[in-house]
Amino acid sequence: MSPGLEHRQRGFVERTLASLLETMEHTLLAERVAERTGMLQVRDARVKVIALLVLVIAVSVSHDLRVIAVTFALALTLGWASKIRLVELMKHAWWGTLVFSAAIVAPAIVMTPGRTILRLQFGTITEQGLRAAGYLLARVGTVITLCSVLVLTTSWARILRALRALRVPVVFVVILGMTYRYIFVLLQTAHDIFESRRSRRVGPSSASQNRWAAVAAAGVLMSKTLELSGEIYLAMQSRGFRGEVYLLDDPPMRGPDWLTLAGVAGVAVGIVWISQ
Amino acid sequence: MHIPDGYLSPSTCATLFGTSIPFWWVAMRRLKHRLMSRFVPLLSLFAAFSFVIMMFNLPLPGGTTGHAVGMGVATIVLGPSGSIIAISVALFIQAFFFGDGGITALGANCFNMAIVGSLVAWATYRLLSGCAPLVSPRRVIAAGLAGYTAINVAALCAAIEFGIQPLLFHDASGAPLYAPYPLRIAIPAMMIGHLTFAGLAEFIVSAGVVAYLQRNEPWLLKTTASDVDDEAPGTREQGTRVLWFALAALMILTPLGLLAVGHAWGEWSARDFADAAARSEIAAASGNVAPPNQAPRGMERLSAIWTAPFNGYAPPFLRSPGLGYAMSAMLGTGLVLLTFLLARLVVHRREPRSSGTFS
Amino acid sequence: MSEAVDRQFELQDVHYHYHDVAALRGITLSISAGERIALLGANGSGKSTLLRILDALYFPTSGRVAFDGKELIEERFREDAFAFDFRRRVGLVFQNPDVQLFNPTVVDELAFGPLQLRWPKGQIRERIEECLDAFGIRHLRDRPPHRLSGGEKKRVAIASVLILDPAVLLLDEPTSALDPRAQSQMIDFLTESRGRTVITATHDLGIVEDIATRCVVLEDGQVAADGAPATIVQDHTLLRRTGLLHEHRHLHPDGSLHSHPHLHGHHQH
Repeated sequence: MSPGLEHRQRGFVERTLASLLETMEHTLLAERVAERTGMLQVRDARVKVIALLVLVIAVSVSHDLRVIAVTFALALTLGWASKIRLVELMKHAWWGTLVFSAAIVAPAIVMTPGRTILRLQFGTITEQGLRAAGYLLARVGTVITLCSVLVLTTSWARILRALRALRVPVVFVVILGMTYRYIFVLLQTAHDIFESRRSRRVGPSSASQNRWAAVAAAGVLMSKTLELSGEIYLAMQSRGFRGEVYLLDDPPMRGPDWLTLAGVAGVAVGIVWISQ
Repeated sequence: MHIPDGYLSPSTCATLFGTSIPFWWVAMRRLKHRLMSRFVPLLSLFAAFSFVIMMFNLPLPGGTTGHAVGMGVATIVLGPSGSIIAISVALFIQAFFFGDGGITALGANCFNMAIVGSLVAWATYRLLSGCAPLVSPRRVIAAGLAGYTAINVAALCAAIEFGIQPLLFHDASGAPLYAPYPLRIAIPAMMIGHLTFAGLAEFIVSAGVVAYLQRNEPWLLKTTASDVDDEAPGTREQGTRVLWFALAALMILTPLGLLAVGHAWGEWSARDFADAAARSEIAAASGNVAPPNQAPRGMERLSAIWTAPFNGYAPPFLRSPGLGYAMSAMLGTGLVLLTFLLARLVVHRREPRSSGTFS
Repeated sequence: MSEAVDRQFELQDVHYHYHDVAALRGITLSISAGERIALLGANGSGKSTLLRILDALYFPTSGRVAFDGKELIEERFREDAFAFDFRRRVGLVFQNPDVQLFNPTVVDELAFGPLQLRWPKGQIRERIEECLDAFGIRHLRDRPPHRLSGGEKKRVAIASVLILDPAVLLLDEPTSALDPRAQSQMIDFLTESRGRTVITATHDLGIVEDIATRCVVLEDGQVAADGAPATIVQDHTLLRRTGLLHEHRHLHPDGSLHSHPHLHGHHQH
């Protein structure tokens, strides 16, 4: 095995562990930000969820790059007012999808037919190409920022409860809540499995050994998943669960919540109207 | 393969979201029926499992690594209904909470990976494993191929969804508004990555986990084994499933109809007989026989009786023809599905079964 | 007072099998209201299974279990009235709190039981506030379960069962995985049971005399002994046979090896 390959084989456990840790950190960040006293943290979750949807749809429909850019600026402002640091926003939202999209859309600048802007060795940059790239990146960036600002300023439990306002069936809300809750238990289990593998390893393993390790980890995780689900079901039954789920009501919306909702609706209508 | 926001037009997103809803609804009904209240914790945990699996870095031959979605495993252990819901839930959390995959594109992602992925995996697995014993190498290979096929078909759906965007949605200057690459670029670009790395990762996870379970907990594999079938006769259910999938594929491909030029033979309206351009087209299509100068009287009388709400597949309130076409496709299919589902409800009265793994 | 009324739980030759494993092999037992019982046994002796039979989560493969004179069979639980009444009156605290805390926040967890039993929402909110104070978990109210410590999880788990004010409290290894301070808090809690029937499954001999007035020892799915804690704890032969006692060896400063039966907190040298 060449040294480069060996290094990569050894790295797969570390990389999986890194992904797992990253996820846990991601959630910790979100929970920390949700506890800060910023502008959005105190708003009712229902307003935020509806605002997000309305603005995202408006941005998707709009054909006007300037309008999308303004919405992006608005999202950034809201983030700042809610005490989200730019660095946090970058790590949580932009790194990943935005960078990936930039890479995907770059060839389109030279591949889209249209009016020539600049002739290069390997192709011609067209106006249409630039516009296409602009639309895509602007939309991706704006929507991701809006979504992050919502998710970072609201605890997951509240977001789920707010989905009820959008007429999502209760059973889905309950399943989503439980899934989120147990992701952490399984992440911990997966982490432990890979940690113990790493500490028991003596020397480099072959690719197929590593593959089997990953697959066996998946198998063990699946067993644990099913065992847990059985026990949880018993625990639910023990406290009266018989198939129907019920949730507590939310506290009523206050004045500032209604105002925010009206404001957002106005912005969305404005976006769509200007864009026509 | 998670599609972010901004790549698909709102109409595409809405169409795919609308298509997903009946599948979700039917899947939930079947689960409630089969598992009663047990399905709440089971699906939640499985969705969490699917989520964590998507993070596993799998070493692939050649020194690369890949990620698997887990659609093969989920379908084989839970059955297609359970897999549809579990993966959709995992995708929802990834989209909202981790920004992996868009919110407006959630319908599209669920359709591609959760719905199409699960159904294709199920059909492939059942087809290839046949009546082989529960603990056999044939089932392991079948599982691997089921996963491989499923993720590639899902990728193909995504590629088609991308590819039709520049065709249908562009601004006044001709610049694509959403995904900028046409079908001839989108399809190879998506498929190359999936036929190789992603497909291989899915193959390994599906085959590997089934092999592991065969060794350690074979009873978990019973749900999709044909000898322990706790639903109506296996072949009929399989046929229904394949039809669902075919229907879904057709729905996505409808906008390709826009590529066809002119009218189908015989589908002329009364007005076409008076229009010179239409007349020459009719003549050319009919072996150069000139059409009558006036539309046949019966045709004229009957055409006045009914004015379709969406005349020419273009709702009057939408300006773009492409948008109108896609919306009509969604509405039409939605109506067909609704009729089908209602008929099913009336005709089928199944008692709750207590056989199978998760009752 | 007739015998029948006195007996809260009545088990007659209860067997329970699952996946070809015989967990209970003929249990005959009577439990009166208000008793405080310690269910002793090594791991795998059937303690957890027995608790689940008592909580009607498992139904006997053969034999009969009755609560307040009514037999606990699956069909009975299809009736809303019976099911709700039973679930309210008998509560089980699981050994693994992660299994019991399945709601997004502590408040949701406390609300789950009352919501399932369809209490009026105003009453539920009041009870929640009472419980938060009674268990000292007010500061945890909006916390998700994965951000709670082991001791906090156990407290929330118990609170979420006691919010229903059950007549019977079943506990599966309540002191396991707790640090010493949390353990002693748990023991304090278990000693003041206020007229509830409390059945605690444990393998910790040290706490038995504090928390119970009666000891039932299980061995391989059968009752090996049933009597006063003081008697049982002294019966070393029994304890060794049932795997509750082991030889404990340690080194003295002078280098000699001292071996004696290991009983938590009871040896001096």
